[in-house]
Amino acid sequence: MNGRNEENLKELFEKFLNAEQTEKAVEDFRTAELIFREHPAPGPDDRLIAEIKSEIAEAVSPRQVNVFRRIAYKTAVVAAAVIVIAVISVRLLDKGGGGPGRATASMIPEALWESDDISADDVELVILTAEIEQIEGEVLALELGENGGNGQADVAELEMELIEIESDFWKG
Amino acid sequence: MAKSDNLARIIMGCKAGSAESFSQLVDIYASRFYGYFYRLTGDKVVSDDLLSELFVKLVEKISSYKGGSFESWLFKIASNIFHDYLRGKQRRRKLLEVRKRQLESRITEAKKSDSERVDKLQIQLEKLDADMRELIMLRFYSQLKLKEIAEMRSEPIGTTLSRLHRGLKRLRELMER
Repeated sequence: MNGRNEENLKELFEKFLNAEQTEKAVEDFRTAELIFREHPAPGPDDRLIAEIKSEIAEAVSPRQVNVFRRIAYKTAVVAAAVIVIAVISVRLLDKGGGGPGRATASMIPEALWESDDISADDVELVILTAEIEQIEGEVLALELGENGGNGQADVAELEMELIEIESDFWKG
Repeated sequence: MAKSDNLARIIMGCKAGSAESFSQLVDIYASRFYGYFYRLTGDKVVSDDLLSELFVKLVEKISSYKGGSFESWLFKIASNIFHDYLRGKQRRRKLLEVRKRQLESRITEAKKSDSERVDKLQIQLEKLDADMRELIMLRFYSQLKLKEIAEMRSEPIGTTLSRLHRGLKRLRELMER
């Protein structure tokens, strides 16, 4: 109760009152402070403080879980966005005249890539290839407007939305 | 400076949702806000409720605290809670019950010993008008400077000083009777 009382009451009162009135006003303040010190208010029970802390802990914990959940959702959305953007980019590069699979060829041994019998080389690679073909098919359908949409414009719009989602994530 | 740095760290913890940081704020402020509510209502049960409500509001509103005097911000919430309490119809009924209890205690007060001076101050405070009483409570239970109290009440510091002085002078007279 004393921290703020370090301010200079006399100086404050002198702005509004004459010297004699200031002296009286400061004395009234000091007397009142003394009265309050001599008559302390009761404090809160320990039980009440414990209840309040418990309520706060309860109120705060779901919020923390929600924060983690929100971060997990955002991360999942961004991861998905990155994958789809990568696929679309590969597809668009392909349209620019590059040979099929150029982007991935550098990551896979040349002999394996050039083999005609993929299933014999690597089962996992077969699964991966099937997944990529499926995504490519979906992107192609979008580009050609087979989904009833507007072809290239839909792809561009999809790209813009994904970029926006990613941008929103980094902004928080 | 170290004290305000520590408070800033605790507030940051609260904003991040740390129950431990909120717990520290309860330890720092519970007694003073309890005193503030008790002196305004004169009732321990009501003060218990209002203090709980204050900390519930603190959890809800901490993200809206954008800096400046934290204590001033918190006392503003406490003041709003007290005024909401006064406004509520059901709560007004409770206040009447409190008044009744206070009247009863006033009757028996004369029989009490000098050691029970807490009640005497409470009784004399009840004789001041509500706004003046609240101003005096802000002065004695917050650590706000008079300038901050004036800002909180949206009035010139001269008005705050003059009103506070009148209230304290009156309280002094009442206590000296």
